[in-house]
Amino acid sequence: MNKTIIININSIVFHIEEDAYDVLRSYMIDIKKHFGNTPESKEILEDIENRIAEMFSERIHTGRKEVINLEDVQQVIEQMGRVSDFEENDEPIGAEGFRQERRAGQAPHLEYVGKKLMRDPDDKILGGVCSGLGHYFGIEPVWLRVLLALFFLLGGSGVLVYIILWIVMPLAETRADKMAMRGENPNLQNFKKSFDEELKSFSQNFSETGERINRGARNAGNLVNAGLGFIGKMIAWVMLIFASLNILGLFIVFVFSLMNIFGLENPIYFPPLELLATNDALIALIFGFLAMGIPFLALFLWLIRILFKTDKLNSYLSLTMFAVWIVSIIGVIYYCIYASMDFREKSTINVQRDIQPREIYYFMEKDIRALDAGEKDSLRSKFNIQPNGKDLRNYLHNDIAIYFESIDSLSQPYIQYSYSAKGKTYQLAAERAHNIVYEAIQENEGVLFPSHFLLKQSTLDRDHQVRVTVHLPQGAHVILQRGIENKLRDISYKKCRDNYPDSRQQKYTDWVMTKTGLSCSQQPTPEEDEE
Amino acid sequence: MIAENTQTQMRKGILEYCILSIISRGEIYASDIIAELKKARLLVVEGTLYPLLTRLKNNGLLSYTWKESSSGPPRKYYQITDEGRDVLARLDITWRELVFAVETSLQAKTDEEH
Repeated sequence: MNKTIIININSIVFHIEEDAYDVLRSYMIDIKKHFGNTPESKEILEDIENRIAEMFSERIHTGRKEVINLEDVQQVIEQMGRVSDFEENDEPIGAEGFRQERRAGQAPHLEYVGKKLMRDPDDKILGGVCSGLGHYFGIEPVWLRVLLALFFLLGGSGVLVYIILWIVMPLAETRADKMAMRGENPNLQNFKKSFDEELKSFSQNFSETGERINRGARNAGNLVNAGLGFIGKMIAWVMLIFASLNILGLFIVFVFSLMNIFGLENPIYFPPLELLATNDALIALIFGFLAMGIPFLALFLWLIRILFKTDKLNSYLSLTMFAVWIVSIIGVIYYCIYASMDFREKSTINVQRDIQPREIYYFMEKDIRALDAGEKDSLRSKFNIQPNGKDLRNYLHNDIAIYFESIDSLSQPYIQYSYSAKGKTYQLAAERAHNIVYEAIQENEGVLFPSHFLLKQSTLDRDHQVRVTVHLPQGAHVILQRGIENKLRDISYKKCRDNYPDSRQQKYTDWVMTKTGLSCSQQPTPEEDEE
Repeated sequence: MIAENTQTQMRKGILEYCILSIISRGEIYASDIIAELKKARLLVVEGTLYPLLTRLKNNGLLSYTWKESSSGPPRKYYQITDEGRDVLARLDITWRELVFAVETSLQAKTDEEH
C-alpha cells in the first residue's frame, strides 16, 4: 500500500505515488533550470508539461488505473528525454573548449581540457578555491568543501593545500575569465547565455529557498549520511549508544522499583516512591518511567532512521508517543502534588511524665535495635508491637530531639514528650501521631532514652517526629553519657568534652542546670604552652 | 571525440530542416513529429523538439492552433507559415548543393580506391 499525492499539471489533476512524485518533481526542476526564465522558456516548459500530462492521461486510460507510479514517471522521462539529452542549437562548440554530449544510456565523461583552473568569485566561501576546482573537474564544490573540512579536522592538513591553491589559482574576474573557467567558448551567444543565467539564478534563489526549507527536515538524515560523512556517522553512533544505555538504565530502575513496591526488597530503590501508598506508587512509577523514557526512545528511533535509512515513523505512532509523554509528565506532576498534600497538616500530641528526683541525673541512650542476650521478643515485650516480617526500617525512626530546660529548684522534675506527624487532614495527622511509641525509662541511677521511636502500625513516612524536653530543677547535677549527643539540641556537648584532658576517650560529661540551661561543669584544661 | 563532435554538428543542422519539411506536409502535432523522425531514423527525444519548435515559431516560420483532445489537455497543432515555406525552399537549395558537394567528394575518393 502506498501514499498518493494529488498534483496538477497545467490544471489537470493526477494522482501520483509518493516515490514517483519525488522523481517527477526533481525532473521538472532540472528542466526548469535548464531552460531558464525567459518568456520563450515559459512557453517551452508549458509545452513539455502539457505533453507530460498527456502521456500520463494515456497511461491511466490504457492501463485502466487511477494512479501514476514510478515506472510511469520513468518511462515518461525517458521518452521526453533528460536534460543532457536535449540537443539544442546554441550549445557552445568551439575550437578550444568543448563538452562531450551524453547520449542516453552512456556514462558521463569528465568535462576537461580547454578549461582554465581559476577561482570563482561568485561561488566562494573563503576564496572560491573549491568552486574553481569544482568547475575544472566537473564536481559540485560542496563535496570538495566537505573533503577540505575533513582534512582540516583531522590534523589541519587541508589548510596548507588550500592556501597554496588560493595563491596559485588566479581569480576569474571578467566574464571571459568566468567562461574560460567553465570551459565555455567566449563568443557572443555564450555571453548572452551566461548573462541570462545570472539573472535567472538570482530570481530563482528566492523561490528555491522556500522549497529548500520544506525539504530541509526531510533531508536532515541524508545530510548526516552524505554531507558529514564519517564523522557525522560516528557522532550518530555515539548518541545511539548513549540513548540505548539510558533506556536500558531506566528500564532496570523501573523493574527493580516495581519489585520494591510489591515487597521484594533489593538494593535499588527510589526514595520518593516510598512516600506513596502501593497503588499510587505503582502508577507514579509508570508515569515517571514513561516521562523519562519516551524522549530517549524518540532520540533512539530518530538515530536509527538516520543511520539505517529506514522509513519515517508512522505519524500516528509519533503522535501517540507524544501524547503519552505529555500525559505521563502531567501524571508525575500530579503525584508530586498529591504526595506533598499529605504533608499539609501537622498534629502534635503532648504527654508529660514525672521522673524521680535524684542527686545526680544520668542520661544515656540505648540502642533498642540491639537485643540483650536472653531477652526474648524484646520488641514485643517492651513496646507491645508485632513487626510482621518487613524490614525494621519501616517501624523504627529516629527523628528525635532532646532539649533540657530549667525549672524552679523545688519543683518536680518531669519530661515532656511531643509526638507529631503530618497528614492531608488534621485528623489523619493526629492518627499518625498517636501511632508513635516513645518513652524514656528510669532505671536505678540513670534515665535511658531509646535510640528510635516506634510506630504501632507501619504507616507511610509522614514526617513523624518526637521532641523530648527534660525539665530539671536549677542546680541539678547532670551527667550526659556518650551516645546521646546526636539527639541533644542547644547544647554544645563537644565543646564540653574537649575540656577534658583525654577528650576523645571521655565517656561522659558533667553539667549543671543553671537558669539559662545546662552548663558544662568541667573547666577547660590549660594550654601546654601558656605563658 | 572529434568525430562525435562533428556528427553532432551535422545532425543539428539537419534537424531543423527535416522538421520544417515534415511540418510543411501538413498540420501536425509535436509527438507525431517524433514518430515521423523515427521513421526517418533521425532520433531525438521529445524534450529536444519543444524548444526547437518554439524557436521556429518565434522566428515566424511556424504557427500553431489549439485543438481539443479527448484524452487529456488540448494540443498544439503546428503549420508552416509563408515565411517558413520561403526558408524551406532556400534550405532545399542548400541541401541539394550539400548533397552534390558530398557526393562529389566521395566520388573522388571511390575513384581513387579503384
